[in-house]
Amino acid sequence: MSDAYVPHEFQYSSADHQAGTAVAGMWLFLATEVLFFGGLFLCWIYARTQNLAGFDAAASETELWIGTLNTGILLTSSLVYSTGVAFARVGDNRRLVQCCLGAIGLGLAFLVLKFGLEWSDDFAKHLWPVGPDFKFTGPIAGGARLFYVFYFIGTGLHGVHMVVGVFLVAMIAWRARRGEFSPAYTTPVEVVGMYWSFVDVVWIILYPLIYLIGRS
Amino acid sequence: MPPRLPRLLIAWAILLVLLGIEFGASFLPLAPWPRVLILLPALAMAAIVGVVFMEVGRGPVVARGFAVAGLFWLLVLLGLGSMDPLTRTDYHTTVAHPE
Repeated sequence: MSDAYVPHEFQYSSADHQAGTAVAGMWLFLATEVLFFGGLFLCWIYARTQNLAGFDAAASETELWIGTLNTGILLTSSLVYSTGVAFARVGDNRRLVQCCLGAIGLGLAFLVLKFGLEWSDDFAKHLWPVGPDFKFTGPIAGGARLFYVFYFIGTGLHGVHMVVGVFLVAMIAWRARRGEFSPAYTTPVEVVGMYWSFVDVVWIILYPLIYLIGRS
Repeated sequence: MPPRLPRLLIAWAILLVLLGIEFGASFLPLAPWPRVLILLPALAMAAIVGVVFMEVGRGPVVARGFAVAGLFWLLVLLGLGSMDPLTRTDYHTTVAHPE
């Protein structure tokens, strides 16, 4: 920490105290998010256990190459944003802005692949689980519907988190461009980075549940 | 160059290797339930992102407490919630039709 004076709100004893509280607050929020997505993962366990044949048959219809490419894109976006955090700590706001723009670009690429390409393809293949046009029929149809309910809710909720993350990273880029951050003050940059990487973690778990485990 | 950059690059390379491992493992002719083991590389990836990118060890002690509490309650949620589907036995019965 630099010796330079960093202003802080009156309720904190120091800037370090304020920064630590912000980081702890983000971890507390992320703990609630873990339980939020945990319910979704529990649904996957329950539905696959009770409807194995239909669930796995439906999983085989997913676009493996898009899911795998998107996983690589998100892992890289976490690297790029974390690099920006590292540059912020040494006071390089210009590099931080570049890293934010890179992370935003990768995030948007993910969203285009997921919702512009993959979801469109899913609708074209009649994989929307509600209604009489669903692709699967017969005894496995129920399990297949459950898989696609999980798929659309899981990827939809994750996509909403991605959109929020893109806005947050854009806000950091805007503030960095205004020169608001210094080696003594990087808390918003770090807290947004935690959120951005958490969204990555959720996808890391969703990826095998959706694309890999049922593909036998 | 920031001193943390090499560590980030190494973590990213390991993450891509683990992604390749789970992708390749998905083509193995495994039975439906052993296929759940494909989750293991994903769990390792999540841990690496948490430790290296999210820097779970960097914040104050209470922050680490929140992170551990989140994982603990997730295990409770998944553990207790899985008890029924993993241990249930379905017995087929004949439905009596009213005359």
